[in-house]
Amino acid sequence: MDINTKKVKKNAFRISKERGLTASRVRVPGGKCNAKVLGIIKEIAETYGNGNVHLTTRQGFEIEGISLNDMDKVNEMLQPVIEELGINQTNPNTGYPASGTRNVSACIGNRVCPFGNYNTAEFAKRIENAIFPNDLHFKIALTGCANDCIKARMHDFGIIGMTMPQYDPSRCVTCGACVKGCDKLSVKALSKVNDKVVRNEEKCVGCGVCVTKCPTRAFTRSQQKYYRLTIMGRTGKRNPRLGEDFLVWVDEDTIIKVILNTYKFVEKYIDRSAPGGKEHVGYIIDRVGFTEFKKWALDGVELLPETIVNENVYWSGIHYR
Amino acid sequence: MEETQMSNEYIPFLSEIKDVIKHTDIEYTFRMAYVGDVKPGQFFEVSIPKFGEAPISVSGIGEDYVDLTIRRVGKVTNEIFENQVGQTLFMRGPYGNGFDVDLYKGKELIIIAGGTGVSPVKGVIDYFGEHREETAGMTVIAGFKSPKDILFKDSIKRWETQMDLIVTVDKAEEKGYREGMVTAYIPDLNISDLDHVAAIVVGPPIMMKFTVAELMKRGIKEEQIWISQERKMCCGLGKCGHCKMDDTYICLDGPVFNYTKGKKLFD
Amino acid sequence: MGNLFKKEEAVLLLNKLSDVYDIYAPMVFKGEGCFSDTDSIRYGKITSFDDIVWDKKSDYSFKEVLLPISDTILYFTEKEMKVPDPSEKKRIIFLRSCDLHALKRLDEIYLTNGAEDFYYKRARENTKLILMGCKKSFDSCFCVSMGTNQADNYDAYIKMDKESVYLEPKDEELKTLLEGTESEEASFEIDYVTDNIEKVTIPETLPEGIQDFPLWEEYAGRCVGCGRCNFVCPTCTCFTMQDVFYQDNQKAGERRRVWSSCQVDGFTDMAGNISFRKDQGARMRFKVLHKVYDYKKRFGYHMCVGCGRCEDVCPEYISYLACIHKLGEIKDGGNADE
Repeated sequence: MDINTKKVKKNAFRISKERGLTASRVRVPGGKCNAKVLGIIKEIAETYGNGNVHLTTRQGFEIEGISLNDMDKVNEMLQPVIEELGINQTNPNTGYPASGTRNVSACIGNRVCPFGNYNTAEFAKRIENAIFPNDLHFKIALTGCANDCIKARMHDFGIIGMTMPQYDPSRCVTCGACVKGCDKLSVKALSKVNDKVVRNEEKCVGCGVCVTKCPTRAFTRSQQKYYRLTIMGRTGKRNPRLGEDFLVWVDEDTIIKVILNTYKFVEKYIDRSAPGGKEHVGYIIDRVGFTEFKKWALDGVELLPETIVNENVYWSGIHYR
Repeated sequence: MEETQMSNEYIPFLSEIKDVIKHTDIEYTFRMAYVGDVKPGQFFEVSIPKFGEAPISVSGIGEDYVDLTIRRVGKVTNEIFENQVGQTLFMRGPYGNGFDVDLYKGKELIIIAGGTGVSPVKGVIDYFGEHREETAGMTVIAGFKSPKDILFKDSIKRWETQMDLIVTVDKAEEKGYREGMVTAYIPDLNISDLDHVAAIVVGPPIMMKFTVAELMKRGIKEEQIWISQERKMCCGLGKCGHCKMDDTYICLDGPVFNYTKGKKLFD
Repeated sequence: MGNLFKKEEAVLLLNKLSDVYDIYAPMVFKGEGCFSDTDSIRYGKITSFDDIVWDKKSDYSFKEVLLPISDTILYFTEKEMKVPDPSEKKRIIFLRSCDLHALKRLDEIYLTNGAEDFYYKRARENTKLILMGCKKSFDSCFCVSMGTNQADNYDAYIKMDKESVYLEPKDEELKTLLEGTESEEASFEIDYVTDNIEKVTIPETLPEGIQDFPLWEEYAGRCVGCGRCNFVCPTCTCFTMQDVFYQDNQKAGERRRVWSSCQVDGFTDMAGNISFRKDQGARMRFKVLHKVYDYKKRFGYHMCVGCGRCEDVCPEYISYLACIHKLGEIKDGGNADE
């Protein structure tokens, strides 16, 4: 059997521990798919696989036990899935063109969740369309609110939905539900002054609890959707760590620009001699420095006046090396 | 503005403080200039602009004044206590039905009050104290927490000479005071003609409940008993809804109720 | 007989009305719902007939137009107090039949229960009411059961479709205003609902001691006391008085009245830490019995108008209708839980 393992991996198949067998990795951007995709996955698993499907942490399916000889047939069967999910493809019926940048994953967001501050899957697809196909190793996740159920902070880019609470004192009945909600469920940024509510703008994390608690629409969400962009969280052997805030109260367009700029930064600074030519973006920044990264990341970016840019970012985490 | 004021019930009038009588550290009677019809048990909304209003029942009535006995327990009453004789407070009212003394004339009158509950009924005690000939008998039982909580000490001295008066405290730390709940004195009350008894009971809800029960054990009928209910009131005008009990607005229909009606009111 | 306006003529009509009136109707407040990317439908000043929402029930009722949520009643300076000026324009409110019935309840409390309310009266006197017909019943409406599906206390009737606006004035002032406008004579029947999916039979009498029946207990654990049911209700009228001094000028301040809810903590709090109805079960009982029992004892007709807004808004899915059904199952001396 003569197989180019690099090509196999790039085509989103795995080199498995069992000789001759692979697994097909199907990405679901934003974790949202039409149920008919499941039917196709089932068919592939039963026709070419061993009948098992693994649900990945990044919101994909890994169809197990496929013979390396069947990859082309599997790719053909995957075509409607790739089309349904709107994956950028180079040549039809050849499967995925790249697998370096991982699936952009997301919590369920405001399609269902009452706390979600935006449609996470829609934004995930927008990012997907902007960055794929790409061989560089990036991990991006989106979460609807500051609860961060998707654990966006463990990603290179974590996108946390925010809303800028809009307060109309003329609709406020001083019931205290927002103040209590913010205290019990969030960061205690609200207080009662003169029988109305005052928001500590520095403390507020834009979670939107005040809005969901308000019984009279005195608190509403801003029309502009805002995000907190955290950067360079990671797992791994050397220095697992949580991502730190880079931009706060930032808008969607800016995030996409910053991510695309970061790809350029990586192209420039990646250590081509690293094993497999792969160097993870977080380690590149560790090497090159945050200031240089920031220069690249914000190149040509026009920020909203309310966006806070952290001038310096320091990560912690555990250092094993 | 003048015209508006005529029909706007929410605009208070200014009243001069004619005297301040200090009963305890936190309970003063403010004697407020007032000329007009008013009954004991009615109340005024007393206010300090920018601090708020507080409903205060009338504890005494004179030709050109009303007494308002105020307990210092919050933002508004704290501020009221900052004022001295000669200064002014804002008031609106009187509100509520109050006690109709005509109902008690010729009766063997029993008045039982607890703590600040003495205030709304004090005008009735004063009136019949001065007009004993209009009653067939008069007993007052006033209960307080402790000797230092006793209100209207000057009036009490006068009442002692005018009627059968029992002042009792829940707990006496010093000698010279009767101890015990007001209910403890009911079994021994001298009643000469049950059919001609009229009883008034005012105090905290739990005190009124047990006192009425004791009185009924003595054979006094519900229709011979009157109570006064205290509830939160913001407007005094039947609008704000805070004082409603069942179908009754305390500020309009009360606070004084014959027990036949009062017993049916539930929160 | 009324006037039928083509859409372009209706624009002129609205301009004409707007010269004299602030015009309030249920409209969409985009993105202002409780959850993200949801809208709020409530009363606002319209600038086009197309702003009026017909296909949905408004989340909040018209009452905030006549009884502002937070209403300053006196301004204080160091020595003086001043009553806020009345609004410069008169008002038109577009509302449905159930809400017109609710208006009667507001009038009852603010104009006849005790003294007339100065602020309500001056707003009310300068308000014209225009009835919006209902072609169909919405979810949770039970106006037919409450007898509020038709109303007659309106100043004009409005009906709209894609091409035209039909206005049938009853009030003389509006009739005069419509004279000489570019329109056709027409006549339409008033749309009203004759049947709802939800139906209630409110018991004529309730047994004594109903307040202590176990049926209220479950609400103690379910209700979160947010007060939404009161705030959306077109017949709830409670308020709390607030005095404040301004942060930037402590010598000046104001007294205002602010909507209040019998479900929210603090409603019965008196000085000295005394309060009543401490648990939510008792508060639910207080509210429900007010709507369908004790209000009627006092005024002769039910307070509830069957709009169902409280049913729609409860975040804990506590059904007012289900509670009324439970009351209906109580036989005198019996008990809903038996």
